[in-house]
Amino acid sequence: MTRWLFYLLVFPGFLFTTILGLLIVWVDRKVSARVQFRQGPPLFQNFNDIFKLFGKETMIVKESARTVFVSAPIFAFGMIVLLATIVGLAAINRIGFAGDIIVVMYLMMIFSVAVILGGGSSGNVYSSLGAGREIKLLLADELVFILVCLIPIIQSGYKLRIDEILVAQESGVFIGSISGAIGFILGLLCIQAKMTLPPFHIPEAETEIVEGPFMEYSGPLLAFWKLSQGMMYVIYPALLVILFLGGFKWTGIGILYSVLKYLLIVVLMILIKNTNPRIRIDTALNFFWRIAAPICLIGVVLSVWGL
Amino acid sequence: MINLLVLFIVVPLTISVINLFFPVVIRKGLTFLSSVFLLFLCYQVYLKSPADFLMYDRLVFSIDKLGFFTLIFSQALSFIILIFSLKGVDKEIQSSFFILFPMTVAFCNGAILAVHSIVLMIFWGLTGITLYLFALLGRTKDTPKTAKKTFIIVGGSDVFLILGLLLIGFLEPSSKMTLWNVHLALSGELAITAFFCLLIASFAKAGGFPFHTWVPDFCQDSPIESAALLPASLDKLLGIYLLARMVTSLYVVTPVIYLVLITLGALTVITAVMMAMIQHNGRKLLGYHAVSQVGYMIMGVGSGNIVAYVGGLFHLINHTIYKSTLFLTLGSVEKKTGTGNLDDMGGLAKKMPLTFVAALIGALSISGIPPLNGFFSKWLVYQGMFEVIAGSSKGIQVWLLVCLVLAVFGSALTLASFMKFLHAIYLGKRPKSLDHVTEAPANQLVATLSLALICIVFGLLAMPLPLNKLIFPILTQSGLAIPEFFGLYDPMLIFWLFGSAFLVGLLIYFATRRVRLDENYLGGMESEEKFRIVGTAFYNEIRQMSPLRSIYNWAERKYFDCYDMLSKVAFGLAHFFSSMHRGLLQMYSLWIVFGFLIMLIIAVVIR
Repeated sequence: MTRWLFYLLVFPGFLFTTILGLLIVWVDRKVSARVQFRQGPPLFQNFNDIFKLFGKETMIVKESARTVFVSAPIFAFGMIVLLATIVGLAAINRIGFAGDIIVVMYLMMIFSVAVILGGGSSGNVYSSLGAGREIKLLLADELVFILVCLIPIIQSGYKLRIDEILVAQESGVFIGSISGAIGFILGLLCIQAKMTLPPFHIPEAETEIVEGPFMEYSGPLLAFWKLSQGMMYVIYPALLVILFLGGFKWTGIGILYSVLKYLLIVVLMILIKNTNPRIRIDTALNFFWRIAAPICLIGVVLSVWGL
Repeated sequence: MINLLVLFIVVPLTISVINLFFPVVIRKGLTFLSSVFLLFLCYQVYLKSPADFLMYDRLVFSIDKLGFFTLIFSQALSFIILIFSLKGVDKEIQSSFFILFPMTVAFCNGAILAVHSIVLMIFWGLTGITLYLFALLGRTKDTPKTAKKTFIIVGGSDVFLILGLLLIGFLEPSSKMTLWNVHLALSGELAITAFFCLLIASFAKAGGFPFHTWVPDFCQDSPIESAALLPASLDKLLGIYLLARMVTSLYVVTPVIYLVLITLGALTVITAVMMAMIQHNGRKLLGYHAVSQVGYMIMGVGSGNIVAYVGGLFHLINHTIYKSTLFLTLGSVEKKTGTGNLDDMGGLAKKMPLTFVAALIGALSISGIPPLNGFFSKWLVYQGMFEVIAGSSKGIQVWLLVCLVLAVFGSALTLASFMKFLHAIYLGKRPKSLDHVTEAPANQLVATLSLALICIVFGLLAMPLPLNKLIFPILTQSGLAIPEFFGLYDPMLIFWLFGSAFLVGLLIYFATRRVRLDENYLGGMESEEKFRIVGTAFYNEIRQMSPLRSIYNWAERKYFDCYDMLSKVAFGLAHFFSSMHRGLLQMYSLWIVFGFLIMLIIAVVIR
């Protein structure tokens, strides 16, 4: 019991993922700033931001369903911490914990549920619009994400447990095959969409619907949303490393490789983010359902034939 | 000594007849008492397996583990739905409702317990008739049409049931029309015809593709209590019960048939959920989901894999639980607001918080969110599917993988359409017209919240409770090994971890919060009624995508509705033949010669 709580709250769960996540967000902000010929924030800026938010007032809309409004961000936070524990233990100790890949896939949908409940409960028109976009974006990327997750399952000989998928990659990482490469690239785009990073920041769309579902949030509740988004920066790329790049090894030269693999994905995400404008929701749906899904299906077929 | 099994039919039937002569209050009381008594009987059956019931030396009623599994859930669900109905059924239909209710339960029990072909046919047909009578109780303008459609599809499928059972009796005379232990080989035209006849009966009852079209209409136009009772609970139990019997003890099924069943299951999931997404009427939305979830059961029970079979049966009871929750919460909302149209609702979470909680749990459960019960059964079905896929040849692997992807994606679509459902009713901005709404009455809350609680309990304690106590005994009784799961899922652990993280978050929030209440911010404008987003239009982009746009248009013109198409063909033929009857003698004699020629040609060809 104590060990679980340690996993959950300290390492690799809440505390560790939060700190790492906020540092990665700093990398993101810094790189983005350099791309735009700006200076960028200092290293601990994100921590200051979060602490400041926790010190601020919480504004709650009078008309809103208050319990839902308050619990939605905390609900999302709880789910992300849980996901961080499951993915983190697979990344650090290479063990399967609490759930297999199907469980992880379904858990990942909960964040969108929380966003919709939180956004919808405030009664604001922009929040509701954003909530609607969030669920459409989920639909768009989920089809491809399911196909992406199938590729490692098939290549490992129909294993569902994350630790067994890692074992299957000891003889060769999945990205080395054609289907693995297809899966990795499309997986990267899915993650971009799941984290609502540009070009898929359609639900938030600051300039258009003013942060969408998060519009009415302030103070500690907004801090929870920001923390969850920061933690996603750690979890989702790590999941991709586990599924396609053979996971992490924390001995000898493996440490360097592990860090490089992870940073490779993060840098790719930041580059995609900085070089693309926001697309419309119907464009996103078209892209994922019409272009990405058939390509990924070809990947799945190839992986059945072991290519 | 009275046979226990007969009591399951006689008691509710007697109550139904007695109810004819009493005022509504006593009808309610008697129905409630009989429901409690039936639950008590279930407990007796659980303790000690009762003796079979014979008539004229023929086995008529008998119960085994699968029968008991179906029986106990049909009693439990009808009991909870009865609690909901005690207060709130429309005044105009109340008196008929409490006559039909026990009657339905009696016929349903009869169909579950029957082991003789003829008895099964009778009770199966009678459940169809009560379904028709319930449909007639509706108050909408489409009620007569829907009732007719329901009767024709379900009643028409009874013809196939009779044909199938008679064929089996003919093929296996040694069984003496006693069912469930025939193990007929699925070879030869007659055996296959009989199989598909029974399959049609089972699909029409449960609402499987393509015989599902009566379900959404029935849900929209009949009283909502009956929608929760029949298409959501009892008919599902009966239909899938028949399917489970067919694939385990009636037939020795071949891999090709399994493939067909899995494909039909995947098609049911995806077609129905796509239709559900675009609905503007809450009941119709739930009706389409009542169809789509059958797909998972068909996939599970009809895949020929033990893990998936367990998952299919578990999904059956899970579905009855959460779908009843959703129907009943919608019923509470409808009775308070007076409308079932999603466009006219919104922001009710503040007015009906407990109903919202029950609906939320039901919605998350049907979408397969861990650690609720809907996820566990889907997870079992997927696992079984993976086992089937791993053992197939490469071409079939791809085919099955596509089916699996459709099923998994189906649950994302389910989530999406329920987010729309929840948003439209409970979230967003509340229209002024609904300011007077209050929380549902206590009996309705007891029903919906206890169903929601069962969703949670069955999710967390899936292994010790439903699986170990009810489903695994079915396997042991039919000589199958209890399967090992190769995936990893610990619902209790997930619950505790998530709960602890949520609690930590809550503590941080309460330690740091300083709340100020304020109005909505709309860029300085006043928040008016016109800035209300209902959520029913969430998926317009998807509806407008080609080729989905054309498919949706065809579906709305009912091109995929077997009932509509067949009725068009029938009326067309009737019109054609009636136009032949002009009353001219020359025409008639010409037809006689023409018909003779055709018969001559046929005779020559056959020779």
